[in-house]
Amino acid sequence: MTTPVTPTVEWINQCYDHEGRHEHVSLYLLRAPAGTVLVDSGSFYHREEITAAVEEATGGDGPDAIVLSHSDYPHAANVSPLGGDTEDVELVASSASPAQQGLPDARKCDIGGSLTIQGREFSFIDPPLADRSHTTWIYDHGDGVLFTADGFGNYHDPGQCDHLSGDFPDVTPAEAVYEYHRDNLVWLRYVAPEKVERTLDDIFDEFDVRAVAPIHGNPIEAADLDVYRDRLGEAMRRIADEYAVA
Amino acid sequence: MSREIAPGIHWIYEAGPDRTESWDLADRDPEWYEAGREAYVPQCAYLVDGGEETLLFDTLSPASTEEILTAVDELVGDRGLDYLVVSHPDVPHAGNTLAILEAHPETTLVAPGYGNDHELYHLDEGIHVTEGDRIDLGDRVVEFHEATFLDAPVSVWMTERETETLFPVDWMGFIHLDEEKLTFVDELDGEFDPSRLVEFHGRVLFWYQYVDVEKTNAEIDRLVEKFDPQIVAPAHGLVIRENATDYMDLMKDVTRTIDGQERIGTLG
Repeated sequence: MTTPVTPTVEWINQCYDHEGRHEHVSLYLLRAPAGTVLVDSGSFYHREEITAAVEEATGGDGPDAIVLSHSDYPHAANVSPLGGDTEDVELVASSASPAQQGLPDARKCDIGGSLTIQGREFSFIDPPLADRSHTTWIYDHGDGVLFTADGFGNYHDPGQCDHLSGDFPDVTPAEAVYEYHRDNLVWLRYVAPEKVERTLDDIFDEFDVRAVAPIHGNPIEAADLDVYRDRLGEAMRRIADEYAVA
Repeated sequence: MSREIAPGIHWIYEAGPDRTESWDLADRDPEWYEAGREAYVPQCAYLVDGGEETLLFDTLSPASTEEILTAVDELVGDRGLDYLVVSHPDVPHAGNTLAILEAHPETTLVAPGYGNDHELYHLDEGIHVTEGDRIDLGDRVVEFHEATFLDAPVSVWMTERETETLFPVDWMGFIHLDEEKLTFVDELDGEFDPSRLVEFHGRVLFWYQYVDVEKTNAEIDRLVEKFDPQIVAPAHGLVIRENATDYMDLMKDVTRTIDGQERIGTLG
């Protein structure tokens, strides 16, 4: 079961329960001109559900390519079950030391560069919001979707698991954006928010972003991007203000 | 490859790939670099042997499974490995956890008590440690600390109290030349070039480019006062066993330098 985000990008939505609050641990499927492309592969925790969803969405064929934002286990744990270790599936990752990242067969994408994968052009962006150093954000030039890995996330309540940002009463809730980034990008306690916002401005100026697709949040539709970014900025200021060096 | 740092503390080393090309060292020719040489950002694990019990801090990467298993066997012999501490579930730090636990069923897994998604990393079982928790190994006692400069939220730092060694994981890493493998910083030729620290932190702790410099440097002052270590044993650099706090102080210049320059590059 997938949820359409844009005409050719679908969300394979999985959640992890934090004592009543949910956090997405998702992946995305793109229907590119020459085949299907997965962005990330999800967690082993949801392996059965993910492989079944991909099987159904691809008519039993499986993906033609897997592009990883980074090697962190919740993003890269299903590469083999989805065929990423076979010659039939092209595996793309950003690390220059793939063997150390557990991805010895991956084709390297350069952060700052572009690749055409299954007939679709992708750009690989140095992310201002991430945890691991080798993370790349991925921009899909077909539908204008920006895949933001660990950035642009949010927690959500039961019953909101399938929501796009516009399905919330007033877009993705500010508190959920704040709580997610506080807990998961711990370094934001030292952030100078204006520096991150300048880099985000540059990215949004360079790329025509029509949707943002986080791995750990509800996808953000074009009409809601300004509201989300305002809330993200406020969340960063709050996280930094709340942490004082003892 | 391993080397004893202090009695009962062993440094287990993995070189990883040569960074000369991906870091464009030949063209940029930084002062510490010598033309034609290979350069590495190592991946290090540490084994603490307290006489009564043994503890391994991190696992090396999946590219070195046989190497870490061999090193542990050589260092603990028939006594077995009592504890495996995973500093954080990043693949190069934790990628051999399962292999080590399979080879050493006697081992207790020790994981960070911080963060909220341990089940996604198979870290929901075992002991969870936070600030001030200790494990007494006999002649050596390790203590755990909230990780200050980190990547994954599920992270922990460690100190060893008798030798006053700080294990700051991803912080204070730096690149080194091929023949400097397993060399202590005080054994390097010439004066240590702080730009090595800039090269590493500008790429790996990429978020240094987005921080409030004064606040970050106040945190470094706090760390110097809190730990005041004799030895610093990073996961991605050479071991510092002399004037350790001077190198911690140097990290304030690293913060300022990264703030004042363009992004030096990615890890590659």
